[in-house]
Amino acid sequence: MERINPYYPIPVKIKKIIPETPNITTFILDGKPIDFEAGQFAELTIPNIGEAPFTPSSSPYDDDMEFTIMKVGRVTDALFNMKEGDLVGVRGPFGKPYPLQNFKGKEIFIVGGGVGFAPLRSLFLALLHDLKSYKKIYIRYGARTPQDLVYKRLIPEWQKIDRVDLLLTVDVGDESWQGRVGVVTVILDKVPVDVKSSPTVVCGPPLMMKFSTQRLVEAGFKHENIYLSMEKNMSCGLGKCNHCRVGRFYVCKDGPVLTWEEVKDIEEPFL
Amino acid sequence: MKSYLLSPDKILTFVKELSRDGSLYYPVFEEGKTHLVGFDDGDEFKPNFAKIRTAENIKGFFFPSRDTVAKFPKDEVRPVEKRYLFGVKNCDLRGIDVYDRVFMGWEPVDPFYKERRDKTIVISADCPEPEDSCFCNLLGFNPYGDSVSDLNFTELPNGLLFEAYTKRGEEIIDAYKNIFTEAKDADEKERKALRDEAIKKLNKINSKPFRKDLPARVEAADKEKIRNARDECVECHACLHACPTCYCFLLSDYQKGKDVERVRIWDACYYAAYARVGGGANPRSRIDERFWNRFQCKFDFFVKYENIFACSGCGRCLLGCSSKIDIREILWNV
Repeated sequence: MERINPYYPIPVKIKKIIPETPNITTFILDGKPIDFEAGQFAELTIPNIGEAPFTPSSSPYDDDMEFTIMKVGRVTDALFNMKEGDLVGVRGPFGKPYPLQNFKGKEIFIVGGGVGFAPLRSLFLALLHDLKSYKKIYIRYGARTPQDLVYKRLIPEWQKIDRVDLLLTVDVGDESWQGRVGVVTVILDKVPVDVKSSPTVVCGPPLMMKFSTQRLVEAGFKHENIYLSMEKNMSCGLGKCNHCRVGRFYVCKDGPVLTWEEVKDIEEPFL
Repeated sequence: MKSYLLSPDKILTFVKELSRDGSLYYPVFEEGKTHLVGFDDGDEFKPNFAKIRTAENIKGFFFPSRDTVAKFPKDEVRPVEKRYLFGVKNCDLRGIDVYDRVFMGWEPVDPFYKERRDKTIVISADCPEPEDSCFCNLLGFNPYGDSVSDLNFTELPNGLLFEAYTKRGEEIIDAYKNIFTEAKDADEKERKALRDEAIKKLNKINSKPFRKDLPARVEAADKEKIRNARDECVECHACLHACPTCYCFLLSDYQKGKDVERVRIWDACYYAAYARVGGGANPRSRIDERFWNRFQCKFDFFVKYENIFACSGCGRCLLGCSSKIDIREILWNV
C-alpha cells in the first residue's frame, strides 16, 4: 500500500533540531525517507495538523534529509513545538530538479533572500559535490538583519572554498556587522559573470524575487537562464488538486522552479 | 456496431440481474428534478430516462466529496464496491472524460479514482428533452452518450435500444443475450430521428455558437470585461461544487484515535484562501481574479493541456447560481 499510495507520507523521526534565527530552524530527519534531486520539494506532514510543502536544504547526497523552515503559519507553528525523536511524515519528491546538466562548465549566479536560502543550500551542496564540473559559484545572500541570516555557522567555511564567491548583505545592520547594508539588490549591482551564458538561480520572499529578477534581466541574463523558485499553495504535489497553478503551469509538477521566460507574461507571478 | 433491444417487460429483469452483481443507481423524477437513487429489489421501479441529467452531478461516485486517502503512520486498504450507474447523460460522461484525463491520464495515476472507475459500470441514456439550461451543443457535444460509458441506450416505445462502447459493455450484452433481441433497421431509424430532434431542440435553445477563438478571448479578456462578468457574483461557490468537471481538492488531516486520517475534500477556486501560501501571499486575493480563474481553467488552460473544454454544458452552474449568472452570456460576450 505504502508504495502505490501517493497521498501516504512516510513516517520518519526528527533527529536533530538546530535553531538558525529567532524564527527559522533546521530540522534534520533520521535518514532520508525519499530520494530527491536539488530543486525538488517534499510535503512534510505534522501529525494531526496537516502538511505543507518544503524544499530540502540538505545535499541530495547526504544520508539524512534536512529542512530549514520559517515559522509562519499553522503547520510550521506545530512543527516548531516538536522535539527531537518526534515523528513526522514525508511525501515526495515532487517537481523538477534544477537542470544541472545545463549548468556544467558555467559560472552559476545564486541569489537568496531570507529563508529562501534554504533550498539554495541544497543546490549549492549538490554543486560542491561535483565542483570541478562548474567554472565558479557565486552566491549573493541577503536577510533583514545579521540575526536573520541562516547558516551563520557554515558560511565562513563556504567562503574559504576556492571557486566559491559568497557575499552577504542585511537590510539593517547592528554594531557588530561589518558587511554590506541594503536589500539584496545592492549586491547585485556588480554581476561578475558572463551573463550571456550563465544561469542564475533566485529564491526568496515575493518582493525580493520581483526586484532581483528585474535587476538580473537588466544585467543581461537570458530569460531562459533565470531560474525562479515559485512559492505557491500546494496540497497534493501531484499536479491534480489545482491549488498551485500559476498561469497554465502547475508549480508542483512543472516547477517549483520556473524560468523568467516561462512566467514573465503572468501578472505578478511571485504573488 | 450492433444494437440490441431490451423490450419494456425485460427492463426490470435486467436491472434486477445487474443489481445482484453490484449496487445500481438509476434516475427518478421527483418534484421537478431528477435524482440518481439506489435500486433495491422489491422497491417500486419508476425510472425516468427522458428528463435531463440529474440535479446532482455524478462525480461523487468516482471522486467523493470527502474521501479518506491515507492513514498515518500505518496505511490500510479501503475496499471499494462494484456499482452500476444506469441512465446517466452525456454531460456527465464529459465530466468523467475530464476526470479520466486528470486522475488517470496525468502521471501519477490516482489509485482511488482508478479503482472506483474500474469498479463502476457506466450505462448512459439519450437525452431527448433538453431544457433551457442545457448547452452541450455549444461545446460540440451530443445529447446522447457516444463514448466514455460502457453502454448507452435510447428509450423507444418498444424498449431500450442499447449500444456498447467498451469491451465491458459488450460482455454485459453477451451475458444477458437471452433477454436482448437484435435491433431492426426501423429501431435504429427511430433512434436517429429522436436524436436529430433533440439536437434540433438544443440548436433552438442555443442558436448562437461560441466563437472559435474562445480560449484566446478568455486569455486576453481585459479587466473591465472581467469586472462586468463577475459583477453579480456573491461568492456562494455553488457553480463550482455543482460542476461535473471541477476537480479541485484539498488534503486535510484529522485525528482518529491514535492515528491520523488524511481526507481529500472537494475544494473550489472561489474561496478567498484557496491559493494563499503559508507566508500570507495570495496570487488571487481579489474576487475578480478568482472569478476569472474559473473561466481560464475551463476554457483556456484545459484546452492547452488536453485540447478539450473542461465544461460539459450541463447547466448546473447557472441553475445553482444565487445571482442567476448565465455562463453562456459571459462566454458569448468575452
